[in-house]
Amino acid sequence: MSLNTLNLKKKIKIQLFVGVTLFLFVLKLFFTSNTSLPFIILNELLVFLIAFSFVLNFIDFIHSKNINALSLVMNVGILNAILFFLINFSSDLLTGVFGNISKRVSSPGIIFNFISFFYSFIVLSSVSYIFLALREFFFLKQKRDVKIYFNTMAIFFILASLSSVAAKYPELQFIKNTFFIISILLIIINSIRISWIAFLTKKEKLLLLFLSVVITVLFIVNLINSSEEAVHVQILKGFSSSLEQFTSIIMIYGVIYFSVIFFTTLFHIPTAEAFDRKAQEVSSLQYFSKLVTQVLDFNDLASTVTEIAIKAANGDSAWIALKDKEEGLKIIANKNIGLVDTLSLSKYLIEKAEKTKPGTATVISLEKYWKNAPPSRDVHQPEINYSFAVLSTLKAYNESVGYLIIVKKSDIIFDQEDITTLNTFSDYASIAIENSKLLKESIEKERLEKELDVAREIQKRILPEKNPVHDKLSIASVFIPAFEVGGDYYDFFEIDEQRMGFIIADVSGKGISAAFIMAELKGIFESLSGSCTRNSGKLQSFSSPKEILIQANAILRRTLERKNFVSAVYGIFDFQKEELHLARAGHCPILLLRDNLIENLRPTGLGLGLDFSDRFKESLDEIKINLKENDTIILYTDGITEAKNFQMQDFGDHYFEKILLESSDKDADEISSRVIREVTLFSQNISQHDDITLVILKWKDKKNDGVKEWQNSMHQLKTRAI
Amino acid sequence: MAEFNASVKDQGDISIVYLKGFLDAHTAPVLENTISELIDKGKYRIVANFKELSYISSAGLGVFMAFIEKIRENNGDIKLSSMNDKVYNIFDLLGFPLLYEIFKTEDEAVKKF
Repeated sequence: MSLNTLNLKKKIKIQLFVGVTLFLFVLKLFFTSNTSLPFIILNELLVFLIAFSFVLNFIDFIHSKNINALSLVMNVGILNAILFFLINFSSDLLTGVFGNISKRVSSPGIIFNFISFFYSFIVLSSVSYIFLALREFFFLKQKRDVKIYFNTMAIFFILASLSSVAAKYPELQFIKNTFFIISILLIIINSIRISWIAFLTKKEKLLLLFLSVVITVLFIVNLINSSEEAVHVQILKGFSSSLEQFTSIIMIYGVIYFSVIFFTTLFHIPTAEAFDRKAQEVSSLQYFSKLVTQVLDFNDLASTVTEIAIKAANGDSAWIALKDKEEGLKIIANKNIGLVDTLSLSKYLIEKAEKTKPGTATVISLEKYWKNAPPSRDVHQPEINYSFAVLSTLKAYNESVGYLIIVKKSDIIFDQEDITTLNTFSDYASIAIENSKLLKESIEKERLEKELDVAREIQKRILPEKNPVHDKLSIASVFIPAFEVGGDYYDFFEIDEQRMGFIIADVSGKGISAAFIMAELKGIFESLSGSCTRNSGKLQSFSSPKEILIQANAILRRTLERKNFVSAVYGIFDFQKEELHLARAGHCPILLLRDNLIENLRPTGLGLGLDFSDRFKESLDEIKINLKENDTIILYTDGITEAKNFQMQDFGDHYFEKILLESSDKDADEISSRVIREVTLFSQNISQHDDITLVILKWKDKKNDGVKEWQNSMHQLKTRAI
Repeated sequence: MAEFNASVKDQGDISIVYLKGFLDAHTAPVLENTISELIDKGKYRIVANFKELSYISSAGLGVFMAFIEKIRENNGDIKLSSMNDKVYNIFDLLGFPLLYEIFKTEDEAVKKF
């Protein structure tokens, strides 16, 4: 049974209390001399009910006010003082007014009844409240469910009290005595539950020590004054013998409990300070662990670290010195000390610390620092004479990245406790540093991914949406971007009615810079190939691949960084002359598939952007191919030949050529899809590290190409539909 | 993933840079730092030894282009040596033999200075 579980409504509790009290009052006034057993039992039950309802009401009061332990102790003290006053008041004053009290009790008048009722009532409420307070102490800071212990004890209190009714029959005395002794034993057992004392601060402990002495003495005095003959006892017995019994039990409880409290507190006093510090440490560590995961701003966190570290390690000033590639040392979160001071101290301290034991916190005396510093030295000297410093290493990814430093002025050296604390704090600071680095990295990664998205978008828009359709030429092209976009580019240009230009190019490097250069290439080659000529009719177009590449190189000079360059192949088909003119600027060889043989065309030529002198012009060779039926021109970027398999082997030129030869009788689309299928199979499960571009141009005679042209245009329709 | 490192050995006033591993867009900054440190020290006579380099990408080639102008302005040069066929092929395709002296052995490259 728990008093809390009796969730009666407040109103009902009060009504019960008032009702029972009034009933008892009337009973006491008018049936004073009735000593029959049923009447006595009724009387005792009513008193019990009053006490019970009183406890019910006050339990709500205590809980609603959230009264702390010390004020409850205070309350107990005050009530004890009231009891002390009542006991002395009754013995002197009441005896003076009413003469022999024991005679009065057996034949009371109205006035005496009235007074005795109120007297007993005050005692009843005081004792009930003390009982309640003791109950609160019992449950304070108890982790396990200990209700059963207290409730058992309370039941024995009630049993011992109620059985005191049987005092009239000496042969039944043993019942009361048994209950009484069990109650005392339970009190002793339950009085050791005083762990709440440990959680008090030193100040509170000292106050409690004082209060417990006073209260214990009061309880003892009150108990001594409550002898059988005392007026106080006479009155209470006259009112209700169980109340008298209950009062003495509670007093005994009080004496035992408060003397235990006194001694325990006494023993707690020496360690109180240490306990306070530990408690503060624990709470600041909790605060930290929360902070580390929530605060993303490293400087904020560092500032809190130094602030609390000073308190925890009993220092005067603190700061964090981070190793910095550019500045050597970077001071952050300096507390109670200027930046200049921290710099000169840090240099000295870190040098010393690194000489001793790396990795653990070290205490360093600053005595020598002051001695060895000649006054003439041009280095700024701190104004405050710090006597000791303690350094703790900050680590990120198992590497020392800096130090948490605390200095103090007093001559008391940092003890092991301080060092342990400091180590804990530097661990937290380390975590914070790692976190902030990880955050930066993830932001960087996200930025890179966004950049790559932009690069892919640029690339997608620049590449031709569809292949041109021509009577004599079937064209297939495939482009597969890598995750880290490269700068592959290919395009077709209708120069005039009888000529078509094309380009395949690979910009050095990756990512958005490659994509931008590629965008530039598009502009350059579009204009050089004469697309503009057709529109405006004014611009001159360059008619040979060599000339176009020379011009492109010259234009690129203005914008290209020295480390960037572009490899390219430019070609022009002349449909009338059935010729192909080609120039290669550093690009992969052009493959010509003719009569089941592969010709590796490598006209000389420097990559675009490698050289802007005449050497470029001189090195560049142009070749002419007289086209024959089924001649297949294969253009590609190194994304194909350098595709890797799981053993990191290259797809390679040889394999590439073998596949081309095997499919030489197929049309352009079929050849390209075969190649791509093979590359994909080859590099399964391996991420593609470079763009893949493949352009296949198949020359065909107009006469026998009804079917193929239909296929080709089907392909175009498909592309459009996509 | 692929690792790369560049170590420098001084031989008289010539610095020999040994390249090892995979030189691509990710590892190119390593070589960039190495060479720019040499230039900062006024060392403009550089031989790059490719013996242990297994792969070079366009970004890797770009590193040599980035510094060559400044080095030659200071009467220095970068000479390349000991490439395997695969690496040489990449240089060759781009026309690098027209721009750089490429030697079979490190000694030949050193002697040429």
